[in-house]
Amino acid sequence: MTRAAEEERKNKIRRRQILNAAAAGAGLAVGSGLVRGFPTIWAQNIKDIKLVQVGGSYSNIVEIANQATKELGFTVEMQAIDPDAQTNRTLTQPKSIDINDLGTFLLYYFVGRNIVQPIPVSKYKYWDKTLPIFAKGEYADGRKVSTQGTSPMKIQYYDSAEGKKFATQPTEWLTGIPTMFNADTLGVRPDLIGRPVESWKELLNPEFKGKAALVNTPSIGVMDVAMALEARGDLKYGDKGNMTKDEIDKTIKIMLDFKKAGHFRAFWTNFDQSVNLMASGEVVIQSMWSPAVTAVRSRGIPCYYVPLKEGYRSWSSILCPMAHLSGMKLDAAIDYMNWHNSGWTGGFVARQGYYSTVPETAKKFLSPEEWDYWYDGKPAAIDIKDPYGNLMEKKGKIRDGGSFAERTGKIACWNTLMDEDRYLTRRWNEFISG
Amino acid sequence: MKAIAWLPSWLQVAPVALILVLFFGLPMLVVVAVSFFDYGQGRLYPTFIFDNYLEIFSSSVTVRLYLSSLKFALIVWAVTLLIGFNIAYFLVFHVRTLLWQIGLFLLCTVPFWTSNIIRMISWIPFLGRNGIFNQTFMGLGVVSQPMEFLLFSDFAVIVAYVHLFTLFMVVPIFNSMARIDRSLIEAAYDAGAGSWGILTEIILPLSKTGIALGSIFVITLVMGDFFVVKVMSGGQSASVASALSNEISAIQYPPAAANAMILVAIVTLMVSGILRLVDVRKELTG
Amino acid sequence: MKHATAGPRPWTFYVFASFFALFVLFLYGPMTVIYILSFQGPTGGLTFPMTGFSLRWFHALVTAERVGDIGGAFNRSIVLAVIVALLTVVLSVAAGLGFRRRFPGSGVVFYLAIASLIMPGLFVGLGIAVGFQLLGLDIDWYTSALGAQLTWTLPYGLLIMFAVLGRFNRAYEEAATDLGATSWQRLREVVLPILLPGIIGVALFGFTLSYDEFPRTVLTAGTRNTLPLEIWAMTTNVTSPALFAVGTVTTIVSFIAIGIALISIAVIQRRRTRGSGEPI
Repeated sequence: MTRAAEEERKNKIRRRQILNAAAAGAGLAVGSGLVRGFPTIWAQNIKDIKLVQVGGSYSNIVEIANQATKELGFTVEMQAIDPDAQTNRTLTQPKSIDINDLGTFLLYYFVGRNIVQPIPVSKYKYWDKTLPIFAKGEYADGRKVSTQGTSPMKIQYYDSAEGKKFATQPTEWLTGIPTMFNADTLGVRPDLIGRPVESWKELLNPEFKGKAALVNTPSIGVMDVAMALEARGDLKYGDKGNMTKDEIDKTIKIMLDFKKAGHFRAFWTNFDQSVNLMASGEVVIQSMWSPAVTAVRSRGIPCYYVPLKEGYRSWSSILCPMAHLSGMKLDAAIDYMNWHNSGWTGGFVARQGYYSTVPETAKKFLSPEEWDYWYDGKPAAIDIKDPYGNLMEKKGKIRDGGSFAERTGKIACWNTLMDEDRYLTRRWNEFISG
Repeated sequence: MKAIAWLPSWLQVAPVALILVLFFGLPMLVVVAVSFFDYGQGRLYPTFIFDNYLEIFSSSVTVRLYLSSLKFALIVWAVTLLIGFNIAYFLVFHVRTLLWQIGLFLLCTVPFWTSNIIRMISWIPFLGRNGIFNQTFMGLGVVSQPMEFLLFSDFAVIVAYVHLFTLFMVVPIFNSMARIDRSLIEAAYDAGAGSWGILTEIILPLSKTGIALGSIFVITLVMGDFFVVKVMSGGQSASVASALSNEISAIQYPPAAANAMILVAIVTLMVSGILRLVDVRKELTG
Repeated sequence: MKHATAGPRPWTFYVFASFFALFVLFLYGPMTVIYILSFQGPTGGLTFPMTGFSLRWFHALVTAERVGDIGGAFNRSIVLAVIVALLTVVLSVAAGLGFRRRFPGSGVVFYLAIASLIMPGLFVGLGIAVGFQLLGLDIDWYTSALGAQLTWTLPYGLLIMFAVLGRFNRAYEEAATDLGATSWQRLREVVLPILLPGIIGVALFGFTLSYDEFPRTVLTAGTRNTLPLEIWAMTTNVTSPALFAVGTVTTIVSFIAIGIALISIAVIQRRRTRGSGEPI
C-alpha cells in the first residue's frame, strides 16, 4: 500500500473513532451495529423508542429481538402469538402492534382499511438484492412462478401511495418487506414406511390408513388434499389456491369418504402436535413444516421432508408497518425492517430451514459449509446444528429436497385465502362433524 | 319503607352487577349486533339481515353439531356426577379429621396448577399407540395390539373432560354434604333405617343444591369448550364451540356471533331446567 | 351407616377409599408422563422414548433460552390470578349476602351471571377488545384481561356462595345481634368464620380459573402474555420438554404450599383444642 493510501486508511479509522467518541460523549444513543451501518437515524431520544412486533413463534424469537435491540439502540420487542389471535388482534386492536409479521395471504384481510401502511421502495435498502420471485414473480432464469394460491406478486405492491388496492405489476409502493419463505411438502417416517415416497398421492394411499394426518387449517389442509387428488388423477383444478364452490364440494366429499374409512389419524392444530404425532409414530405421513421435521430428526428419529414430483406448497412472510406509525417511530420501524434483512436474522432462520428473500445478506452470516448445506444442497461438510446449537444433521447428509433452486423451482402453489373462503369454512365444519 | 329494605342488597350486589354489565353485558350487545351483519373476506358489512340465523337453522350441520355437543355433555355429566358424588361422600362421611379432608382434597387439585395446555400435550405419550398405557397393557399381556381408540377419538374426549371437570362436581357436592346435620343421620339410623334408605331419603335430597350446581358447571363447561374436543379428537369430532372457533379464526364474525347467541339460548334453557328442579335461590331467601 | 369419629372402619370405607385412590391415580396419570419426560435427555422431545436423563430442561426454564418468556408470563399469571381470586371472593361474598333478600332486579343479575358463564369466552374477549378500542383505551393484562376473567370467575363465586349461604343458619346472626354486636362485628366474627370453607372454595376456583384461563384472555391480554398464552404460542413452533419441566416445577411448588398450609392448619387446630378442650 502506498504511503498516501496508508495515511488515508489511518485517517478513516481515526475519524470513525472520533465520531464514536463524540457520539458517546454527546449522549447520543449509538447502536453497536454502527460499523455495519445501523442505525441510520440519529436522535437524542432514539433509545426511548420501543417497537412491538407480533407474529408466529417461528420468527418472533427473543434472540432476534435482543440482537436487534443491541445493534439498533432502541428497543425491539417481539411477541409470539398464534395466527388466529394475530389476525383478530390486528383487526380489533391495531394500535397494540407496531410491526406485523404476517403470513402473506393474511394481507387480504387488512388491505385498504387503514390498518397497515405502504413502504416506498426507495426506503428499502435491499430491494435490488431481493429474489426476483418476490420482486417480479419470476425465477432467475425468467420462468414465471406459479400463481396458484396467493403468490407473492399478488400482494407485494400497492397501486398508489394510499395503499388501497393491490397492484398486479411492480410499483414503487411495497405492502411490506418480505422476509422469509419456504417450500413445504409432506413429512414421512422412512423407517416405518420402508419405501420411497415420490408423489402427493401417497397421502391418500390406503396403505397408510389410520396413519395419515393433515393440518387443521381449512385453506391449507384442503390444498394438500387437492395436490394429492390431482396427483391421483381424481380431479383437475383451475387454481388449487382459489377453488370454485364446485371444486370445494367435490374435494370435501372425497375427504369425507376417507375420513369415514378411518384414513386420518388426526388433524393437528399446532407445530407441537405435528412433531409429537410423527415422533411417537402415531402417523407416518402428514402435512408438515420444515422445522418440525428438524425437531423430529434432532431427537434421533428418522423423518424425511420428501421432494415430491408434483411440486411444493409454498408460503412467505412479510413485515408490515402498522398505519398508526409516524414520525420518528416510523423511521425507526423502517430502520429495523432494513436491519431485519441485513443478514443476521437470515442466517439465524436459515438454520431452521427457512430461506431469506435476500439470500446474499444471509450468506454473510452462515459458514460456507452451512450455506452449502442449507442453500446449495451439497452434502454437509460438518455436523449441521440448529440455531440453538443442537445437532440436527450429521456430516455427509444432503438437505431433504436438495438445493434452493431444486426446491423453490418446483413450487406448485402458495398458501392462500380463497375467494370462497366463507363457503370453504362452512364445508370444512361439516367435514369435521361428519 | 320498602325501598330502604332492599337498599343494602343493592349496594352489596352493585359491584358484581357493574362488572358484569361493563365487561359482559355491553360486549354482548356488540355480539348481538354483529350477528345481524353481512360479511366476506375478513370484512364486516353493518346491516340487519337474518341470513346468518337462517343459514344456521336450515343447515343439517347445526343439528349434528348440537347432537355431538349434547352427547358429550350428557355422558360427561353422568360420569362426573357418579365419580364426584362418591368422592364427596368419601371425603365428608368417611374421612374423619378436617386435616385429612383438606389434605386429600388439595391432593386432587395439584394437577390443576399445571397449565391445561401442558396436560393436553401429555395425553399423547400417555394414551398413544406407543404411550405408557398401551405399553403397560401389552407388557402385561392383556392386549396384543395397541388400543387405538384410546386417543384421537370420542373416548379420548370424554376421558379428558372427566379428567378436567370432575372437581367442579366435587366441590359443590362436598359443600352441600358437609352441611348435613349429622344428628339427622344418627336419628334415622337409630330409627332403624338402612344405609340405602339413609342415602336416598336424607343425603341425596340434602345434596340437591350441590348436585344441581355441579351439573350446571359441568354442562356449561362442556357445551362451551372448543379446545379439548379439538385436541383430544385430533380434530375429528366437532362441537358447537369448536365450529364457532373455526369461524372466528376465519374472521367470519357474524355467523359465529349468531351461533354463539343460539348456543347461549339453548344452554340457558338447560340451566333453567335444572334450576326449576332445584331452586338454588329459594334455599337462600327462604 | 355409622359415622363414628373413632373405632373400626366399616367395610364400605375400604371400597370408597380404593375408589378415591383410583381417582387420584387417574388425575395424576398424565402428570406422571410429564414428570418422567421432564427429565428427558438433551436431544429428546415431548414423547417417548427417553433419549437420556438430564436436568437440561429445568435449566432452560431459568435461562431465557428459546423457551419464550416463561418466567415473565408466569409472574403475570400468578399476580393476575391472586388479584382475580381476591376480587372474586370479596365481590361474591358481598353479592351472595345481598341475594338473601329478594330485591328488584335480582333475577336480571342472576341470569346475567348465568349467561356470562355460558357465553363462549372467545366472544367475551372479542367484545371487550372491540369496546376498548372504540373507547381508545389500551388493552393490558391487568385491565381488560382482569375484567374479562372476572366475568368468568364471578358467576362461579356467586353460585357457590348461594349454596353455602343457603344452609347458613340465621340464628347465629340473630344471636350475635342480641348479644350487642354491630353489623361489622357480626360479619367479621360470626358470618365470615362460618362461611370460611365456602370462601376458600371460591378463592380456589377464582385462582385456578384465572390461572388457566385462555379464550377470554387471548384477545384482552395485550402485548404481554400470561402463562397459558405464552405456552400456547410456544407450541406453535417450539416443542420442548421445558414445557413438562414447568409442570414438574409447579407440582413441587404446589406440594410445598399444601404442606405448609396443612401444617399451619394442624398447628391452629392444636391451639384451639388446647384452648377449649374440645376438638373442632
